[in-house]
Amino acid sequence: MTDSSAPIWIDPIDSQFPEKPGREAVTNSFLSHQVTWDETTRFTPKMYPVGRLRYYYKWPGHGGRLWSRLRYWPTRRRVLNIHGDYNLKTMRREKTIVDKRPIWWALALAALFTMPLFVPEGFRNTVMSAASVFAIYAAINLCWMLIVGTAGIFSLATYAVVGAAAYGATYLAIMLGLPWWVLPFAGTLIGLVFGVMIALPAMRLDGFYYALLTLGVVELCRVFVVQSRQLGSATGGLYGAPSYLPDGLSQSNRLLFSYYASVLLMIFALFIYRFIDGKRLGRLLRMAQEKKEGFAQACGVDFIRARIMVFLASSAALGFIGGFYAIHFGGASPNLFSFDTLLLSLAMLVIGGIGRAEGAVLGTLIVVFIDRVLIDLGPLRYVLIGTIMLSVALFLRGGLFGIKDQFRTWRDKKKSERRATRAEKGGEMLPEEATEMEDKDQVYFRRFDKMQRDFLKRLVSDAVIAEHQSRPLGQHSEALERLLIYFRRQGQIDKYAILVLEEFKAYRIVALSGHRGTAPRVVEDRNYETPDQAYHALFLRRVQDLLET
Amino acid sequence: MAEKKVFGYADKISVKPGDDIGFYVHADGTRSVDAQLVRLIHGDAHPAGPGYREEEIACVADGMWDVRKQFTQVGAFLTVADPSGHLALDGSFSLCTFIFPTNPGGGRRQCLLGRWDAFGNRGYGLWLNPDGSLEFGFGDGNEVDYVDAEVPVLRNNWYFVAATFDARSGVATLYQEGVSTRYNSLLSKVANVDFRSHVRETMRFRPLNPPDLPFLMAGAQDRHTLRGTFVTQCLNGKLDRPAVFGRVLTRDELDRYRDTATAPAEGLIAYWDTACGYTERGIGDRVIDRGPNGLDAEGYNRPVRAQTGYNWQGRDDCFRLAPEQFGGIEFHDDAIIDCKWELTRTIKVPDLKSGAYAYRLRTGDAKGLREEYIVFFVRASKPTASILFLVPTGSYLAYANEHLSFDAEIMQPLAGQSPILSEVDIELYQTAEFGLSLYDHHADGAGVCYSTYRRPILNMRPKARMSSMGVTWQFPADLSIIAWLEHMGYDYDVTTDEDLHREGLAALEPYNVVLSGTHPEYVSETMLDATEDYIAQGGRFIYLGGNGFYWNVGYHSDDPWCMEVRKLNSGMRAWQARPGEYYLATTGQKSGLWKDLGRPPQKVFGVGFISEGFDSARPFRRMPDSWHRRASWILDGIEGEIIGDFGLAQGAAGGIEIDRYDLTLGTPPHALIVASSGGHSDNYQTVVEEVLYPYPGLSGSHDYRVRADMVYFTSPQDGAVFSTGSIAFSQSLPYENFDNNVSRLLANIVTAFSKPGKLPGWAWSAEEKQWR
Repeated sequence: MTDSSAPIWIDPIDSQFPEKPGREAVTNSFLSHQVTWDETTRFTPKMYPVGRLRYYYKWPGHGGRLWSRLRYWPTRRRVLNIHGDYNLKTMRREKTIVDKRPIWWALALAALFTMPLFVPEGFRNTVMSAASVFAIYAAINLCWMLIVGTAGIFSLATYAVVGAAAYGATYLAIMLGLPWWVLPFAGTLIGLVFGVMIALPAMRLDGFYYALLTLGVVELCRVFVVQSRQLGSATGGLYGAPSYLPDGLSQSNRLLFSYYASVLLMIFALFIYRFIDGKRLGRLLRMAQEKKEGFAQACGVDFIRARIMVFLASSAALGFIGGFYAIHFGGASPNLFSFDTLLLSLAMLVIGGIGRAEGAVLGTLIVVFIDRVLIDLGPLRYVLIGTIMLSVALFLRGGLFGIKDQFRTWRDKKKSERRATRAEKGGEMLPEEATEMEDKDQVYFRRFDKMQRDFLKRLVSDAVIAEHQSRPLGQHSEALERLLIYFRRQGQIDKYAILVLEEFKAYRIVALSGHRGTAPRVVEDRNYETPDQAYHALFLRRVQDLLET
Repeated sequence: MAEKKVFGYADKISVKPGDDIGFYVHADGTRSVDAQLVRLIHGDAHPAGPGYREEEIACVADGMWDVRKQFTQVGAFLTVADPSGHLALDGSFSLCTFIFPTNPGGGRRQCLLGRWDAFGNRGYGLWLNPDGSLEFGFGDGNEVDYVDAEVPVLRNNWYFVAATFDARSGVATLYQEGVSTRYNSLLSKVANVDFRSHVRETMRFRPLNPPDLPFLMAGAQDRHTLRGTFVTQCLNGKLDRPAVFGRVLTRDELDRYRDTATAPAEGLIAYWDTACGYTERGIGDRVIDRGPNGLDAEGYNRPVRAQTGYNWQGRDDCFRLAPEQFGGIEFHDDAIIDCKWELTRTIKVPDLKSGAYAYRLRTGDAKGLREEYIVFFVRASKPTASILFLVPTGSYLAYANEHLSFDAEIMQPLAGQSPILSEVDIELYQTAEFGLSLYDHHADGAGVCYSTYRRPILNMRPKARMSSMGVTWQFPADLSIIAWLEHMGYDYDVTTDEDLHREGLAALEPYNVVLSGTHPEYVSETMLDATEDYIAQGGRFIYLGGNGFYWNVGYHSDDPWCMEVRKLNSGMRAWQARPGEYYLATTGQKSGLWKDLGRPPQKVFGVGFISEGFDSARPFRRMPDSWHRRASWILDGIEGEIIGDFGLAQGAAGGIEIDRYDLTLGTPPHALIVASSGGHSDNYQTVVEEVLYPYPGLSGSHDYRVRADMVYFTSPQDGAVFSTGSIAFSQSLPYENFDNNVSRLLANIVTAFSKPGKLPGWAWSAEEKQWR
């Protein structure tokens, strides 16, 4: 880069020492720092207007008025999680409902309760019995979700528990003549025993192996009840459990009654879900999901105990549902243990979205609707369910309820792609970027810094580097001084510094953290013998960083 | 096994033989350290000088010391002694206070006031929660119930906040209103910010109030297995007039409190009147409770008093004029005044020669963090020498544990170089317990106005180098003067700023000549008065540095280890006090530059600060007046015109921080400029207090004022002052084993000054009748 006619810089301060010749150094020709400004004052990218219209109403803050907040008695939870803040565009006070799910749940439950009013007469039988099945399956899936979603353990033994409880309760009812209301509790006990049985192997097995084992348990149950004469191998199921329906109800009222009973069962399951998933146990489990156990344990989380607890709780609840199943359907059938039941249920979870109560319920609703209401479609129903499941698996990350997050992630991705194509890295901010910058001063800083760097890059020459090497500290030519002042003025984050290993013998280059309490990081493992060598090596790094931007 | 480290401090910085001095040592990774008393002679290991030198002194306390890990309470807060449990509020109650949050949110919980046990979830408290919103809550030993405000508080604005709790109904109500005046807050009313929030909720249970829990303001109690109880959740911000009531205050009553800061008497338990107790001479750490129970609060780690309150109207800029507007008491969660470690060893100072001493503690390989020097100065029991070296310990405090290389973006352009960090610098940066210097900012951005030596000071050690400038600084630089006195064989004593502040003129009077340190920048009024009086009544003073006698500082009489400064409006300053907070809480004086108070250093020492630069230094060149017989004796034996074109600080005697002769600022009219440096680089900029309009051309290669002047003048009764006007001067003394023209020049002066009677050249004062 050095050309032979390069100008010579004379150190002005040596004029004060006339007895010695003044220091001279080869330097660059003068270049006005305004050249980059003149070159870049025109924006090259197209500028789009930004700003989003407030087309919906947003509640103002309460200001001086008293805001009495309601809680779900007797908990600390507020009825709605409302967040107040300042709108940074106007400083107006606004309120946002951070979590709208309670509203959607309330609407959904109201719809479920009033649904029978809107069912057309012709479909009444089909729809109402399907609706009961939906509620019962939803209850089962909610308990299952605790294992699959919250604890993240791929257990397929759910229907083994439900079925065993249904069979066991029916058997006990037949043998001992128990009244209907005892059966769910009998089922609970059976479920607990089963819970212990499936919790124990979960200590040692995980992932695919645990799924296989639990699948085996289900199959074992199916083979057992199909072959056991006492459990009705001849009749294709064990029937004769007492019903909870009062005598003397008409057919349509029986359907209505059993529908509401099933919905209550589902609400019961929702409470179970909420009280495990939303409390301490749920948090521990979510922290200690598969492959993360080691980390959880290191943090002091006893994840084995937590897993046993969730198995016991969900199995007991499933047992209760099994008991309810018996008094709802008057007994139990081997169908409960069948592989297609399992797969249909799995489809429900996957479609709705793993790890959310609303996912379990909506997935169940969709699958049961196709399976039980669109009977006219025949076997095509399963193709339809399969297609939906496949599409969900292919296109969605968190089921139907993950769509919102997925959409936002996608939009963010698109946003950064577009910005990357429109803007220069580290260059002038685009209007859309400026909307995200609270401190508008930074918007100007980016403009200034970009142009300054463009200018300074032109000052880097062999002559300037040689001048720095000959005297890193002290008076410098204009070109070098401009570079140094820029470098020294940089922010503290990742700013280079020198670490002394041995005073006056060994130095090394590090980068500051810019964060109080955090030590600098080493950037290279070369040692320099003198401070001057280290200053120059540091300067070269800065020059390189400048040229690379 | 933890990495081995040893740190310590002493409870005194200046002792006489026979005094007791206590050492406080913290060690990691070891249970014992090898202790040795040493006399410190030279502190700069620069290859151009004689190298590092110390002398082991046998002492009965030498040998292995048992040491332990020590814990430090960081953060300022107020404690309230409440033996009769008035504040264990089992019934209904109200808490209220004015608050000026300076760093709300950020994921840190900050307690405003309360009796809160963060470890056991017991008691009650009023907080800024991790989101920066006001929150009231309490615990029953197991669970916590709370209510929080609708919007977060905005930093640097005054609020009045309160929480009331009705024990019968369980109803808790939060009250938050903005109370800014036109002067005291960040935002004006034009910003359209609605600060208000009033939230009510019904709580599920009642607080548990165990008797052993302390009531704290700006902090809450926590517990650690090894450490026991300590204080956490420290506040960043100001409180003003907090109060506690044993009943629920109505909205109207709270409105009245907000408007008048007067507490209704009914149900009042405590009303800490933070504006009460101001005197003409400042205010202490005690916050008076004007309620019925006299529950006065005590500051821990010195919360900053004399700060503007919620009602500051801008007209009166000092608490002496309108104390009721200065109820602000400011807290920082990284403040540290006294480590209060467990005592490791007390020794009775043996009969030592006056000088700089240290207990040297070593462990492992005795390098870096494995070696500590706990420095102290020994005065003469009875002054016998004629020479006194006045150790500028106040200035050591100012720079104690500075973080400039790491935290200050301006430091590299200011110093004209990249920092050279050591292992010790990094340890300092990582350890909040070592506290900050008067050049640092607290985490909330406020400048640090207190510094103390009741903590390990890692840069008040021999060998330490100032990382940002690549030279020794303050104490290790001053050791070059001690080394020179030693080498030249002078009989001398040392005394410190602390002694001078306490004893005044009496500390200097016994000596014929007093030598300053290289950078005696921070002086109290007493110190300046004593020095001025000493010179005026025949004392001889050699100002061996630059940028001296610059900041006005204050000390409390009961804790001389803690120094206060306020940096304001002018001067080369690392921070800027808020409007209205310019006066020292310790003395009631306005702080800032002595120049701005009417006492520029030129008036007493002939020179004053003009410029600083750290990338280079320049030699002095004789000035024509040095041939006048009044002063020519100073240059006896020196050949040539150039003085000090060598040195341990950037290679020459004139530089780093430099002072200039200026008649308009009170340099005595008969003062002579003996020599001046010149040709400074453009890193040397004219200091801001000399700049009215900044314009191109205020730097070394443009401005003739950027220079160090050696100035000499005589004072009454055969007194005299010689000023070097340069920090780098003294670091040229050790060059080539003290055999150089700077050393010669100083020796001429010290030898002459230390003899009583007439000074050389005194008689050459007749009017000039020149033939040439």
